[in-house]
Amino acid sequence: MNPGFLLAYLIDGLLIGFVYGIAAMGLTLIWGVMNVINLAHGPIIALGMFGVYLLYTGAHINPYLALLIVAAVGLGGGFMIYWIAIHRVINAPHLSTLLATFAVNMIIIGLGTAAFSTSPYTMDFSLGSLTLGVVTIQGTRIVAALAAILVTGGLYLFLYRTATGKYVRAVANNRAAAELMGIPSARILALSFGLGTLLAMVSGGLIATFFPFTILSGGAYELKSFVIGVLGGLGNPLGALAGGLILGLFEGIIPAFVPNTWVPVFEFLLFVLILLVRPTGLFGAKR
Amino acid sequence: MALLEIRDVHAGYGEVQILWGVTMKLEPGKLTCLVGANGVGKTTLLRTVVGLLRPSSGTIQFDGQDVSRLPAYTKADLGLVLVPEGRQLFTDMTVMENLEMGATVGRARKEIKANLERVFEMFPRLKERQHQRAGTMSGGEQQMLAVARGLMAAPKLLMIDELSLGLSPVLTLQLFETIRKLKQTGLTILLVEQNVQMALAVSDYGYVLAHGKTALEGSSRELVHNTHVREAYLGL
Repeated sequence: MNPGFLLAYLIDGLLIGFVYGIAAMGLTLIWGVMNVINLAHGPIIALGMFGVYLLYTGAHINPYLALLIVAAVGLGGGFMIYWIAIHRVINAPHLSTLLATFAVNMIIIGLGTAAFSTSPYTMDFSLGSLTLGVVTIQGTRIVAALAAILVTGGLYLFLYRTATGKYVRAVANNRAAAELMGIPSARILALSFGLGTLLAMVSGGLIATFFPFTILSGGAYELKSFVIGVLGGLGNPLGALAGGLILGLFEGIIPAFVPNTWVPVFEFLLFVLILLVRPTGLFGAKR
Repeated sequence: MALLEIRDVHAGYGEVQILWGVTMKLEPGKLTCLVGANGVGKTTLLRTVVGLLRPSSGTIQFDGQDVSRLPAYTKADLGLVLVPEGRQLFTDMTVMENLEMGATVGRARKEIKANLERVFEMFPRLKERQHQRAGTMSGGEQQMLAVARGLMAAPKLLMIDELSLGLSPVLTLQLFETIRKLKQTGLTILLVEQNVQMALAVSDYGYVLAHGKTALEGSSRELVHNTHVREAYLGL
């Protein structure tokens, strides 16, 4: 194998890994704060893809500007999902919240299929590419990676430097104690779900700028988010980013040696191995 | 007028009723203790007063206001603060962050600087460890942090559930001394304690809870000499 090609594969994988990272952050934030496994994560990612696509092809809004709109919609939509579907079962056993988010999953997929069918969409958008020797990198991927770094930094600063962010961590850590301190925990949970949804939609929007997609595309990223959650530890944004990078590199490297279809096999092998060896995640999170 | 008045409160968890009519009055500026055997409902009573549980009947008045059915998160703002059993710290957060979380309500936020100085003076250990994660400290230090976090909320009434549970005798003495000093500053305190002897020694007034009801009350001096209390709780 030509080392140049290998390098190209690795860089591609690494760049996409940043985007996987923020998708996973959305899933792990919701799990870490409220102990809810969000089975609507995939379809919400797909909604982010369609959001950016529609704003770009329909209204000719720059995709990165469209991403801001999609983020705002994601935050608001997340609030709504929380208050309508999840709040009433938040104290019930896990199965109830699983079913609630699964119902949301089915609703989004149903409506999305009716509106967009399940055929693939492609955004006719390019930022050109950067060529260094044998390595050619699409501009959209570089921008996506930069956006992911910004989002991660932003989330980290929010959680560790702002009062509201600290409330989120306090509620994640001990909800009853947070209530005793005067923190309205239900509102914090709604905010966390909104943020998780925002992250999912932003990652979807970024992916749409360089991959074709359907309303069902989110499912694959949801599964990757679970793998990354285990890699990076649940409820830790930097861990999720690191996990995303590892998975991205993995995906870059595997097709260099075996056919592409083997990628999920190796991914889930990695998933099971980590669960066996370090069930709390590679970067030692709390659960 | 009493700062906290609990009238004939019934409460429990789902089908299991634990409190069968508790009546108590806490006078402002006094240290009141609540004692009773394990499982008699002391913690349940505190959880009900603070709003983590709803009473099925009865009323709870705090500072002249009926607070029986207010949600837990509104209580800290009123000045009704609980240091819960088992500390319930934010173990993944630093000591400093725990103290900040204590002062989230409007009133307390204004006094955060002065209160921080006060609790650091009271517990110099916490000042040394302010950047350490709360969960990595010893049991005694964690209990100090739990009390300090409660004080950061600028309470009118501080309720402490099992101050001495799991602590060494030396630390227990030290914490009781702190509580005594707090009382001298005029703070109203409700102390739930398994160490009945210590509790009665430091408090002004006491209640004995039995079978989910207030069984006995009186000044702590009277209770120390009460035959039933001596036999049942002091082992004398």
